[in-house]
Amino acid sequence: MIPSNMHQSAYKHVSGASVYVDDIPVQDQMLTGFVVYSPHAHAKIVSFDLSKAQALPGVLAVLSAADIPGENNLGPIVHDEPCLAENEVSFVGQAVFLIAAEDEETARAAADLIYVEYKTLPALISLEQAMAQNSLMGPKRTIKRGDADKALAEAPHIVKGRFKSGAQEHWYLETQTALCLPGEDDELFIHSSTQNPSEVQAVVAEALNIARNAVTVETRRMGGAFGGKETQAHHVASWAALLAQKTKRPVKIRLFRDDDQIMTGKRHPFIIDYEAGFDDQGMLLALKVEQNADGGAATDLSFAILERAMFHAENAYYIPHVSITGRVWKTNLPSNTAFRGFGGPQGIAAMEEIIDRIARFLKKDAAEIRQKNFYQLDKNNTAPYGQVITNNNLELIYNRLTDSSGYFEQRREVNGFNAQNEFAKQGLALMPVKFGISFTTSFLNQAGALVNVYQDGTVLVNHGGTEMGQGLHTKIRQIAALEFGIPLESVIVSATNTSKVPNTSATAASSGTDLNGMAVKNAVERLKFRIAFQLAQYFNEKYGVESTLDSHVMFKNGAVFDATDAARTVSFKEAVQICYFRQLPLSATGFYRTPDIYFDREKGAGHPFYYYAYGMAVSKVEVDLLTGNHKLLRSDILHDVGDSINPDIDRGQIEGAFVQGLGWCTTEECKWDEQGNLLNHSPDTYKIPTIRDIPRDFRVALLKDVPNPGTIRQSKAVGEPPFMLGISVWLAIKDALSAVAAHQLEPELNLPATNEAILLSIENLRRRQSEHI
Amino acid sequence: MADTISFLLDGKVQIIDFSRQSHLKPTTTVLQYLRDLPGHKGVKEGCAEGDCGACTVVLAEPDKEGGLSYKAVNSCLLFLPKLHGKQLITVENLQDGNGNLHPLQKTLAEQNGSQCGFCTPGIVMSLFGHYKSGASAERDEIEDTLSGNLCRCTGYQPILESAQLTLTDVHSDHFSAEQEETRAVLNAISKDSLTLKTETQVYYLPTYLNELLRLRSKYPQALLVNGSTDAALRVTKNHELLPAIIDSSNVRELKEVQASGGKLRFGSGVTINELLELTKERFPAVSKMCKTFGSKQIRHLATVGGNLGSASPIGDLAPVFLACDARITVQSVNGLRKIRMNDFITGYRQTALRPDEIIRSVELPLIKPSVLIGAYKISKRYDLDIATVSAGFRVELDGDEIVQNCIAAYGGMAAVTSRAIKAESFLNGKKWKRETVEQTLPLIRESFTPISDARSGAEYRSVVAGNLLLKFYLDTQNK
Ligand SMILES: Cc1cc2nc3c(=O)[nH]c(=O)nc-3n(C[C@H](O)[C@H](O)[C@H](O)COP(=O)(O)OP(=O)(O)OC[C@H]3O[C@@H](n4cnc5c(N)ncnc54)[C@H](O)[C@@H]3O)c2cc1C
Ligand code: FES
Ligand code: FES
Repeated sequence: MIPSNMHQSAYKHVSGASVYVDDIPVQDQMLTGFVVYSPHAHAKIVSFDLSKAQALPGVLAVLSAADIPGENNLGPIVHDEPCLAENEVSFVGQAVFLIAAEDEETARAAADLIYVEYKTLPALISLEQAMAQNSLMGPKRTIKRGDADKALAEAPHIVKGRFKSGAQEHWYLETQTALCLPGEDDELFIHSSTQNPSEVQAVVAEALNIARNAVTVETRRMGGAFGGKETQAHHVASWAALLAQKTKRPVKIRLFRDDDQIMTGKRHPFIIDYEAGFDDQGMLLALKVEQNADGGAATDLSFAILERAMFHAENAYYIPHVSITGRVWKTNLPSNTAFRGFGGPQGIAAMEEIIDRIARFLKKDAAEIRQKNFYQLDKNNTAPYGQVITNNNLELIYNRLTDSSGYFEQRREVNGFNAQNEFAKQGLALMPVKFGISFTTSFLNQAGALVNVYQDGTVLVNHGGTEMGQGLHTKIRQIAALEFGIPLESVIVSATNTSKVPNTSATAASSGTDLNGMAVKNAVERLKFRIAFQLAQYFNEKYGVESTLDSHVMFKNGAVFDATDAARTVSFKEAVQICYFRQLPLSATGFYRTPDIYFDREKGAGHPFYYYAYGMAVSKVEVDLLTGNHKLLRSDILHDVGDSINPDIDRGQIEGAFVQGLGWCTTEECKWDEQGNLLNHSPDTYKIPTIRDIPRDFRVALLKDVPNPGTIRQSKAVGEPPFMLGISVWLAIKDALSAVAAHQLEPELNLPATNEAILLSIENLRRRQSEHI
Repeated sequence: MADTISFLLDGKVQIIDFSRQSHLKPTTTVLQYLRDLPGHKGVKEGCAEGDCGACTVVLAEPDKEGGLSYKAVNSCLLFLPKLHGKQLITVENLQDGNGNLHPLQKTLAEQNGSQCGFCTPGIVMSLFGHYKSGASAERDEIEDTLSGNLCRCTGYQPILESAQLTLTDVHSDHFSAEQEETRAVLNAISKDSLTLKTETQVYYLPTYLNELLRLRSKYPQALLVNGSTDAALRVTKNHELLPAIIDSSNVRELKEVQASGGKLRFGSGVTINELLELTKERFPAVSKMCKTFGSKQIRHLATVGGNLGSASPIGDLAPVFLACDARITVQSVNGLRKIRMNDFITGYRQTALRPDEIIRSVELPLIKPSVLIGAYKISKRYDLDIATVSAGFRVELDGDEIVQNCIAAYGGMAAVTSRAIKAESFLNGKKWKRETVEQTLPLIRESFTPISDARSGAEYRSVVAGNLLLKFYLDTQNK
């Protein structure tokens, strides 16, 4: 029996029994799919010859764009991303040809036999270059309130600067993988490691020129995703499907780690120019930000990501006059894509830099400046896009966290340490996150479920969400069991499958439990309604007294009973059997759409979020001034998840997101050479945190006794918000650097703050310091 | 000579005859082999280069104390012949005969130590290796144990907590119960030298030094390997077919260790993990470099000979061996030669070795109390990262604190491990104090024109190279 809060696959995970796409047994008929990609950032495909590769024994198919029967597209929203490059390649790693062969070795040999002639073209391989050459991906977006220019002109003080953040590779442990099994007629069954089975189904159907009802996509679990499999799992699935359609044999494609890193998009690099006005007390008066995102070579989700960055440009602070402009720029790099936080981290990091600069300017503790500017409860509580911020827990969290972390005492200790140490400095930072929950593309906020009850009293649940480790299926199972009043063991949540629940949204935007949990609850309620109706009749017939009303029938402790008459009770299993013999359908679909959300892009105004999630972190670091290395001494986190459905899983999400966030802020760096080749294309040079990089002292707590009205079991989404708390580590490093020049100079430090960036920032401070004197 | 390998897996002696099993080559990795079996899909590929730990398995072999030694290793870097005479343990083998999970599996699951689960089998196996080798629940040791296991989901905290729980309460398990039998089975496997041949490859696995030397002289073109952590990448990443391999990892003479009169001599087949232990007391600078060398799994495989033999400019041992004035003994069928570390590396990935020679052993001479030695490694991440810059320093101080025989050796600053000669001569004859050291820093920076690459820019390398000397100075003052 699985302890109630445990991840439902945990015992399988630890014993190696969990099945991922690459583990699914297939017959000997299976072929290895192989992708040949562009070695150039931008080039014309002058000519190519596949005949030698095709002639190699063991090769079953070699395809180019010309062999795609349907639309040559992978783009989920804008159809600007070819499935296979045609005429022109626009980034290193773009798929050009596909090979199906008996084994990998043969496929590689075939790839070597392909002749292609490219004519290279000028390429844009950085955001700066794209901005300089006005390579816009689409029109700019704006959100405005009041008159920021005027307020800035009148403000007593101004900070102005440029914030930059780098790309982040998802580094899911399981690389992109898909297995496609051809069936009768046009039918295809695809096992895909995707967050978005319905969209894989759509993209495959369009590329293969077949109807969607011929394509079934199933996702049991992913070995991590983090947004990287929201749209970009479409690629391998489509390629495998094209090869399977052509060869009529099962085809599997599993990207090699380096290829995955080279071919797929990353977290968007951002350049944010900001200007903020404030008064002597540190109250924010005006904010003007220009956000620029590196979209890569195709649109993908870039505009939605930009939008979220814009929605979070002011983070947790009320600012009367605001002007936010956002642009996506087109470069010759893989199309950047969703990654936990979805633009939020970039927008928020820039805002937090502003607050720190204000604090340093005014020689005040940054935590106090933050608290002063928090959105308030009954005034100063409207976001720049017009949404009123309700159920705001910022002040509450601030009070509890400064207390539990001993923030002010830690501050004194840090000051003491810094006074005594010449070659090491400590830094401390507190930062909040306020994160809007809902897909900002409003129609995506819908979910479906299918709940089947069987005659032995067991329940099978399917829903539109996918399991990537976040524990969604575990929570859904808890919800179904709780709603039916039956033990967990009676419920199974099985693989996500487009033939069971159609037209689903991606499992993204932290919304998995919010949406699918409600849909499952809806299905369960419909079943309970039917059962209750029958059971009332049954009790009344059996006892010969018409005293049980439908509304008396309760589901609890594995029984179905009349709450007003203890004698009238049957087990859940008996209830199900009674319904079966009375010819009642024991299967129901459920549906949910989030109410009251809308956003007008033209006006930059609306109510895009159902609610907000809040959290706060305090981090303390020590920086070695000679090497730029830092130690993360302690992090305290207090996070608001409403009434947690599963505190253990929620804690896991917070810890995991925080550590991923600190990776983005510190050691994770992507660099490209001038030809647009990714230099950090394997874990040899791309460094995600290891066990030694987490806080020495790591204290995570859930905010207690603050239920969230209107959501499933009054809980809150948790997947993304704590990612942003990792920014506290960067802020703490900056605080330590600030001590180098006795807090007189603003340290320059962008993201990621590698030891290199830190040491060079120290050098820069020392240079400026000597110029000052 | 036999041409099959034998090893224990799933309670049975498995025999692979490469001349018959056409889909297996001697350079097929253990990971590839396991993933093709129906019952071992728990072993995952996350990178195929030793950098993620998802493929971690444990190898057990009889030890000198009458028990078994257990080592967690990366199966993606392990050529099949390396299984010969050993027990291969995967995550599927940990449950006991009644299907009960191993305590460390159970705790890891119940403490929420897994989310997506893809890293989990590897984490379990690393912890298992530790559990079976005199485990300690110290945080630092757990971190060492898991230094080669990446997890992208959990943030490690629950893994750490679960490991602390299980390791404070170590029990005998079904492996303990089967120990005698396992030893007997493994001891019964012949340790004779092997020549494994397929149509395209030949793989020699000699048992004795004289055989190794003979093979080396007869086939100078063949690739000599020991741990093959470097060599395996040529197969897994570059997809090379290595036609001829001489694997020296079974040669016992290369594992010999002698310590006397403050000197330490160790064979080239000593692993980094063994070196870490051997040098803890008398050569702490060497031990320190071993601690940040790769990961625990890599340290179990990688050898001293392989590190020096690859002559990489970012190899971790060369700078500290220079500082220790190490002597390298090389050997061929024609006899032995001693080469000072200073003369051993001759160019980018080139050594003073003649084609028929191998590295036999390394000697670290006695370090007098007047000699100060320090070693530093700068990498983007502490664990499992190749050096951006590494350094080995030595100063000898007379009664007046005057520096003599200074060595400032750097890795990562040039195409070969190099010394900052200008800085050394400047320091020699001067007083060992902060001012002199600070005056030396620009000389260090001037000594090199480092490159910018994936790991860092040139400027950082220059600045930090100088700073490391200051750091060394400060460390000598803090003693
Ligand atoms: C994931 C990973 C992390 C790593 N981290 C580090 C690190 O932190 N620091 C570091 O320095 N290196 C690191 N390495 C590189 C490598 O592990 C080391 O260089 C190691 O010491 C090589 O030893 P080996 O026995 O595995 O060598 P092998 O791969 O067996 O051989 C390497 C080379 O040395 C030669 N050689 C081997 N034995 C002898 C001998 N007896 N005589 C002459 N030549 C010989 C071989 O011919 C070959 O050219 C890492 C490698 C990987 C894959
Ligand atoms: S697969 Fe990553 S270490 Fe072996
Ligand atoms: S649990 Fe997903 S990588 Fe560790």
